[in-house]
Amino acid sequence: MFSMPYAILVQNKTKIPCYIRLMKILIIEDEADLAQSIAAYLADENYICEFAVNYSEALQKIETYRYDCILLDLMIPGGSGWSILKELRAQQEQNGIIIISARNSIDDKVTGLQTGADDYLAKPFHLPELAARIYSVIRRKQFATTNIIEQNEIKIDLLAKQVTIHEQEVVLTKKEFSLLLYFVSNKNKVISKSAIAEQLSGDIADMFDNYDFIYTHIKNLKRKLLDAGYGNYLKTIYGTGYKWVV
Amino acid sequence: MKKLLNFSLKRFIVYASVVLAISIPVYYFFLNKLWQYELAEHDVILTDKAVREDSFLIIGTVTLLTVIFFFLLMGGLLLLNRSISRRLWQPFYDSLSRIKDFDLNKQNTVSFGETNIVEFAELNKHLHKLISGSVAAYKQQKEFADNASHELQTPLAIVQSKLDLLLQSQSLTDEQYNIIEDAGRALTRVGRINKNLLLLARIDNSQYMDTERVDLSTLLDNTISAFREFAATKQIIIKSDIAKDIEISSNRGLLDILVNNLLNNAIRHSAPDSMIEVTLSGKTLVFSNAGDEPLQYEQLFKRFSSASSQTPGTGLGLALVKQIADRYNWQVNYTFADNHHIFSLTL
Repeated sequence: MFSMPYAILVQNKTKIPCYIRLMKILIIEDEADLAQSIAAYLADENYICEFAVNYSEALQKIETYRYDCILLDLMIPGGSGWSILKELRAQQEQNGIIIISARNSIDDKVTGLQTGADDYLAKPFHLPELAARIYSVIRRKQFATTNIIEQNEIKIDLLAKQVTIHEQEVVLTKKEFSLLLYFVSNKNKVISKSAIAEQLSGDIADMFDNYDFIYTHIKNLKRKLLDAGYGNYLKTIYGTGYKWVV
Repeated sequence: MKKLLNFSLKRFIVYASVVLAISIPVYYFFLNKLWQYELAEHDVILTDKAVREDSFLIIGTVTLLTVIFFFLLMGGLLLLNRSISRRLWQPFYDSLSRIKDFDLNKQNTVSFGETNIVEFAELNKHLHKLISGSVAAYKQQKEFADNASHELQTPLAIVQSKLDLLLQSQSLTDEQYNIIEDAGRALTRVGRINKNLLLLARIDNSQYMDTERVDLSTLLDNTISAFREFAATKQIIIKSDIAKDIEISSNRGLLDILVNNLLNNAIRHSAPDSMIEVTLSGKTLVFSNAGDEPLQYEQLFKRFSSASSQTPGTGLGLALVKQIADRYNWQVNYTFADNHHIFSLTL
């Protein structure tokens, strides 16, 4: 009765330690191209993606299986994304819900978050941005009390927004902290300058074509981490791209 | 231009006066004949002098009577014409005043009153058809802008995601990477234009209607500190002089966009190593930055008027500013003085 990916999940669970267990994600999106891109990007991480292309399929899947995170397009054939959102919230599961919508309206965003979505991402978006949102939504939902990311020598306390390297605290600015999280949640991925610019400044970066400001933040972050004795994981690639190599 | 009522009346008067003027010699002729006949019947012979006197008497009386009747006729005609016309043309004036009040932007259709005159009923019918046609076309055009930019979001998202995926390929050369970056940058610009078009269409369609009291002073302070960093990459200093506690009622999101666009505009079009001044005092908000020559005022606030490959903007920023200001009846102005571009907003 289990679908294939779920079976894999169960198998894997026995083999690998549970703290890196595979995360299951349901992509409710009728554009196959977009859904597949998302799945392909997330595949190398500990994510397994399933798809639902219409209302009834989405409803059937959320009733049958449990997911760690659900990406929900509000406009799907056969019904309204809103009622799926309500259904999901009625289930009282600890799954994260991220709305990915072509409707970039302030009203939708507010209503979405009030109805119980954990995040709202307007199309078009950068895949690294989506990955970072998924990463933090899952953390927030499932590790509500002790939410600490460890990666080699670094420890990031998401609740206290504290970073320690070799038990020593590193003081980061708000932007450097979010940049660090962005890299950590997109490890081993090539991230373009424009994706970073968008992440760093949201709507404002939208207006600028000059991305020089991101160098300062990256340079400072890199220096602070190196000074604290952290390995040089942040690589510049192809001249203007970045990659967090772990 | 003549009024319709006077137009017909004047012809009546001219015609009546011509007829009455002609009637004077005709009356005279026949009265004279009758008089002569009666005199001959009763064998009365008058002296030449008496004949002349009688003629004058007849002419005088006929003229006087004609003039009196002329005025009677005119007075009556005038009154009758006025009251008939008023009743007759009432539906026309009704329709006229309704059309006068019609505003395509307000999206309300015009309904014409009932009339039992065939011509006016027909006129109203066709006017109604014409107006509802325009309203429908206008609405359709606005919805089209909304739907079109909306439908574009998903394909844009697909292209964006494919580019992000392509970046993950193992064996990219620097050159290939740069091609992807360039494509990505163009795509970002398309996305931005699309977003702004959508926003314009939404404002057109009277969305974002909810207003609240917004503390403009705080909003400006926050915006300026958010933009400082971007300005710093061009060594531009933002100097601000913001009066405290100035509140206005508007939609917060729209006000944000307005302020962002004006400030972004100033930064984008400033030379490196220059200064931007932002002043808020009372009901006036002023952005000023150095510039070499005045901009073309007529073109400034039009959509896509400034878009070119040299300026990487969307060409919609100032159009949005204008649109938002118009919604709240704020005045946006541009002047050029002392080698400074000055954009001012009067609330």
